[in-house]
Amino acid sequence: MSSSKNRFWLSLNNYEEKKSFRKIQKDEFLEGVTDDFNLEKLPEISRRKFLAISAATTAMAAVACTDYRDKGEIVPYNKKPETTTIGIANYYSSTCSGCNNACGILIKTREGRPIKVDGNPDHPINKGKICSAGQANILNLYDPERLKHPSKNIGWKYQKESWENINKDIISALEKAKSENKEIAIVSHTLNSPSAIKLIKEFKEKYPSTVFYQYEFFDNNNKREAWKKCYDQDKLPSIQLENAKIIVSLDSDFLGNEGNFIENTAKFVSKRNTDNLDDFNRLYVVEGGMSLTGLNADYRLRLSPVKQLDFVLSLINELIFVRNLNYSLPSEFADVIKKYSLKQFVEKNKLNEKFVKHLIEDLTQNIGKSVFLAGDKLDYETQISINLLNEIIAAKSLFTDNNASLSNEINDFEILKSTNNLQEKTQFEWLVNKLYNKKVSIVIHLDCNPAFHLSPDYGYDKALKNAELTITFTKEKTETSDISNYVLAINHDFESWGDFSTRKGIYSLQQPVISPLYDTRQKEAVLLDWLSGKPNEFKEDIYHKYIMTNWENNIHSMFKTKTEFKPFWYAALHDGVVNLENDIQSNFSFNINSLSEIKPQNIPESITLQLTNNYTIGDGRFANNGWLQEIPHPVTKVTWDNYVSISPETAKQMKLKNFCMAEVSLGNRNLKLPVVIQPGMADNLLCIELGFGRWQVGTVGMSVGVNPGIFLDKFNNKLVQDVKIRKIQGQYKIATTQEHHALDDEFVKDMHKKRRIIKEATIEEYKKDRKILHHDHHPDISLVDRKKYTEMKWAMAIDLNKCTGCGACVSACNVENNIPIVGKDQVLMGREMHWIRIDRYYSGTPEEPAASNQPMLCQHCDNAPCENVCPVVATNHSPDGLNQMAYNRCVGTRYCSNNCPYKVRRFNFFDFRDHFEKGYYYQDSLKMVQNPEVTVRSRGVMEKCTFCVQRIMEARQEAVKQNRKINGNDVKTACQVACPADAIVFGDSNDKESEIYKKRHHDLSYHVLEELNIKPNVTYIARLRNIKSED
Amino acid sequence: MSIDYTREISVIEGSPSFSAVNELIARPLDEKPDKKFYFALAITLSMLGTGAICLGITFWFGTGVWGLNNPVGWAFDIVNFVFWVGIGHAGTLISAILFLFRQKWRTGIARFAEGMTIFAVMTAGLFPLIHTGRPWLDGYLLPYPNQHHLWVNFTSPLLWDVFAVSTYFTVSFVFWYIGLMPDFANLRDRAKTKIKKIIYSIFSLGWRHSHRHWHHYEMIYLILAGFATPLVLSVHTIVSFDFAVSILPGWHTTIFPPYFVAGAVFSGFAMVQNVLIFIRKIFNMEHIITMDTLEKMNKIMLLTGSMVGYAYGMEFFIAWYGGNPIEFFVFVNRAFGDYAWSYWVMVSCNLLFPQLFWFKKIRTNIKAMFVIGVLVNVGMWFERFVIIVTTLSRDFLPSSWGFFTPTIFDLGILIGSFGLFFTLLLLFTKTLPVVSIAEVKAVLDHAQPKHHHGE
Repeated sequence: MSSSKNRFWLSLNNYEEKKSFRKIQKDEFLEGVTDDFNLEKLPEISRRKFLAISAATTAMAAVACTDYRDKGEIVPYNKKPETTTIGIANYYSSTCSGCNNACGILIKTREGRPIKVDGNPDHPINKGKICSAGQANILNLYDPERLKHPSKNIGWKYQKESWENINKDIISALEKAKSENKEIAIVSHTLNSPSAIKLIKEFKEKYPSTVFYQYEFFDNNNKREAWKKCYDQDKLPSIQLENAKIIVSLDSDFLGNEGNFIENTAKFVSKRNTDNLDDFNRLYVVEGGMSLTGLNADYRLRLSPVKQLDFVLSLINELIFVRNLNYSLPSEFADVIKKYSLKQFVEKNKLNEKFVKHLIEDLTQNIGKSVFLAGDKLDYETQISINLLNEIIAAKSLFTDNNASLSNEINDFEILKSTNNLQEKTQFEWLVNKLYNKKVSIVIHLDCNPAFHLSPDYGYDKALKNAELTITFTKEKTETSDISNYVLAINHDFESWGDFSTRKGIYSLQQPVISPLYDTRQKEAVLLDWLSGKPNEFKEDIYHKYIMTNWENNIHSMFKTKTEFKPFWYAALHDGVVNLENDIQSNFSFNINSLSEIKPQNIPESITLQLTNNYTIGDGRFANNGWLQEIPHPVTKVTWDNYVSISPETAKQMKLKNFCMAEVSLGNRNLKLPVVIQPGMADNLLCIELGFGRWQVGTVGMSVGVNPGIFLDKFNNKLVQDVKIRKIQGQYKIATTQEHHALDDEFVKDMHKKRRIIKEATIEEYKKDRKILHHDHHPDISLVDRKKYTEMKWAMAIDLNKCTGCGACVSACNVENNIPIVGKDQVLMGREMHWIRIDRYYSGTPEEPAASNQPMLCQHCDNAPCENVCPVVATNHSPDGLNQMAYNRCVGTRYCSNNCPYKVRRFNFFDFRDHFEKGYYYQDSLKMVQNPEVTVRSRGVMEKCTFCVQRIMEARQEAVKQNRKINGNDVKTACQVACPADAIVFGDSNDKESEIYKKRHHDLSYHVLEELNIKPNVTYIARLRNIKSED
Repeated sequence: MSIDYTREISVIEGSPSFSAVNELIARPLDEKPDKKFYFALAITLSMLGTGAICLGITFWFGTGVWGLNNPVGWAFDIVNFVFWVGIGHAGTLISAILFLFRQKWRTGIARFAEGMTIFAVMTAGLFPLIHTGRPWLDGYLLPYPNQHHLWVNFTSPLLWDVFAVSTYFTVSFVFWYIGLMPDFANLRDRAKTKIKKIIYSIFSLGWRHSHRHWHHYEMIYLILAGFATPLVLSVHTIVSFDFAVSILPGWHTTIFPPYFVAGAVFSGFAMVQNVLIFIRKIFNMEHIITMDTLEKMNKIMLLTGSMVGYAYGMEFFIAWYGGNPIEFFVFVNRAFGDYAWSYWVMVSCNLLFPQLFWFKKIRTNIKAMFVIGVLVNVGMWFERFVIIVTTLSRDFLPSSWGFFTPTIFDLGILIGSFGLFFTLLLLFTKTLPVVSIAEVKAVLDHAQPKHHHGE
């Protein structure tokens, strides 16, 4: 081999017979890749051993070569695409249009197909983070039930039709409507795209009879109107939570699903830094239901939302008349306020006096640093009084007037209401009346689903029959598409162009990362096509060019940069976002006259129903996404369902048991659904989540939950009075991922504290004694010498002060690691496959519980109990401290799972992709969603968190290429990248400079079940509750 | 009437002649099976068929058709395994240990008990094979050289199981076969058809009843008895390691090995007693498998049952005395948690009912002892259920507690295991001598004539 007469040489080093090259050549693979494979040792094998090996090999070949899986064909690229290298991922920045927060995203593509979505770190609002729905949106792209072509209703079915024919028909219909001067109604979700708005305006120019309607299912109309009344501004301010010392949420789930909760979470936890104790914020939550925000409260008070107005007025009374804060009220209003004594309110409602006392103290001591956050569902009057409250405590200094309000430019109803003196109170009442009066000829639904979202009071589906033509743009079958004449199949977000602006001066771009999988078009492109009037000359890039022109003419000029447009555009496309970064002048002047809107109300005695946002499937648009349906509810841990939640006390009165069936009725409308008894809820209150109960949807979302939207009124009011609930026959099977046991059962009460699974302290305790968590610690002794990890050792730390329990990590892990969807029946059996879960524990009483969250994943124990019990060494330890799984070696004895004290191992009881809905997830398009770096596990195999070993390997590869050692900071796990609170830290725990090293040696760090001496490598930073010492 | 306590009680009552013994024991092999046999076989075969269908469905779809879930990774599969291994304990104990202790009363039952051991271990051995997620890869559990440098994990108790159970099966089988050789020769000599003659000739390995043969036979039998004796203790000890070596509270206890062995002998004797009650009646062997033998077996059940009961108490005591709150919780949970009913089934069947054997009247009453024997086996099955399922369902983290409910496939496979066991047993009674002809002849009163004093 080392002869100098080499005829062929690989490099100059080879030719010159350099020593280093010989070594490389000999080993073939560099160090670390092959551990104990030594070519030279091969000839040492004796004849006997050789015979033994060949005999065994033959035997094994006979047994093991039976091909029980169809491995399919692998076809190489014939011509390599310019930008694609096999095995190397490409990243594209874009914008998520899953909801109207329009977060910046970074899409990872492999061999041209998108496989993962993360937040775009360059985006100034969501800063590299994205919610669980945004992560899982990728499954919608590949959903086999997406509409694959446009179709036309021919009476008894929808028939495939070509775009050209449909467009021809529609264009002539539009022209006809124009000539007859009949209305063309465009119904859409709120638009925050500059180009799309321009397009709509152009559309209106060409067809002047066009009226634009926009709505949101989860709106904040009450809040906006109250703000407009108080401050005469169309748009709400954004709140500098990062500067607030005291945050009081009044029924606002700002960490869970209201506003841009991703941004809110990051801002909120920025003041939950254990190294900066004096800067800790304090979260008070006053709410009726139990929300994700409520789980994170330092102080929580349960109060029915109908009592919020009285509570707020009593607080105003207390602050002004008892604490004598300097704020002058108009005398009429002062008279009203004087009737509200906080003391009486507390006594009457039997509230926790300490809560109120601390709240008042904190507010008075933190003027200008405290803020009240009002929930979207609270009524108009309450919103106004909360605005006043914020005025009194000078919370205005925390408000920034930086929201963009593009949608207001085309809000026809709002514009017309002020000038034309319309009779109707809401835009859809207006539309429905016009429909009945035959004034509307065409209704166009722009990727929205009003037939599902609108209150049944409108009778929208019946009214729609009066339109001459109904056109629905949609990605998949919806309730609205089912009653339309034309169903136009549109591109998924990842196949589309778009631009968005939700904040002043911040413009983000959406770009396609895959060409349309099916015969679909982008909705804006279709509109442009109609405007052009030439349906036969459609070009794919028509909207792309439109946006570019718009940016060139309008946005580029705003930047006053010397850069020409082309470089500017490509830079914007590369970054995904451009930021004007101009100073924002916030000027809020409170209109004291708005207080006249506040009129005392009688608190109703009846039961109130609160309709809330759900945490995963949005306004129902993600109903066909199995990953999202299967993410446990952050509070109840329920999957695949909605239900009515009720307080333990009220349940007892109504004789309702957990999971029994109940009928909730309002007038002649009723809903049969299961009951979940929720600790910490206000009495006489019911909560049901909206977005479930779709009836025209794909296989996955079919018959998941019920639709409480039937209780909505025309104003989309989420608080419904005078509802009744009664027990009906039957017990329902609710699939929860955490066992429900009674909180007051002495047998299991506070077990997480007794077993030191959750360790907590208050800030003051910790300030006094930094070692407070470690007093019960005994040195662990071991009979045998443990393996020492002197080189690299991977470890993770999770800061429980920051984790809010939102579940974005679960979603990220699902996508990254090809986690199968098991379906409701299997979750009921306790077989969910999530590699990371969020355990939620309650302590305290069922009435006033304190909750603790804990993300739980494989702890990669040094001394892992799963490893020594595996008979075939399928699970073992890597030299860098990873607990590994060799799937193809696993026989599936499940002993490892039994012996795992954290129960984080997941067993493939079935081939779940095959098992779910008769092989739903085996359909061709869904194969494209799999991450090619992660094995898709077959049935009968154990699996678990790998610490994203594929990412470690990628980083190692990179380091080898650069001829350096891998650094712990090179690797970020999927959950870590996703965590909106940055609660997860990952790295090399032997690197003394690293963040993970500091966390592991932090005074608040602890390991779960430390006493087992199995040396877990996931460190938890104990949560500090920011409560006062006397409690 | 006075009883002469100085005289040994006859092992075989009534001093039948050698040829009568030959006739009696070989009769089932000579006669065609009657209707009753076919009826019984039909029942056991349908049970076996049920199990086979359930197993087929399991193989087709995956272990998911069972009721297992995430915390409870083992349930009926391993419960059945431990149960059947336990049943397999009586045979070798009777034939080997009692042989070494010169307990002649074992003669009448040894062959049958050994047969039951073989069948029980076969049934048991099935479960580790089928419980895996990918049974077609079970071969990975065997250490064989391969080009991947893959080796098995010798620290895993499951691997110990592989060796323990296969060794036990092999030795028991060889022991059983050696014991059968003189009988095969006897049957060969009696055979009237050619086919039978050929078969028995092959199996008798050229046995000619020569002195030298007998001499060697006795030696090898003694050696094998000595060899099998530690295995009786080791098999269930190692099976108990599946649990004791883990870190789960409720499994991780040092009392498990002796407790498991006692329990195994307990259930094994109950099963042997149950089956023998039928055999001695059907084959008219009441004078060979005497009431005295049954009574002695009941006494052993009383002893081992009390040992098991002691272990129950001691487990609780140690759980409290050890001061580990998680372990104590597990035991309280066993007695008062979700599965409390199974715990109390176990305690009453294993601890309370066998205590009735203190009374000679019950000890010697066929009906009573049969019922108690059945209850003991129910209790012992539930003992394994309690140990495995209740422990797994509530372990360290309350967040991941679960609940196991069996599916029809779990039950089907349990029924199938009984079907397999009893089918093999039925076939055994019609193909091989259920009692050792040679050994019985040796313990007949007149086999070793001697003078009786005072006569």
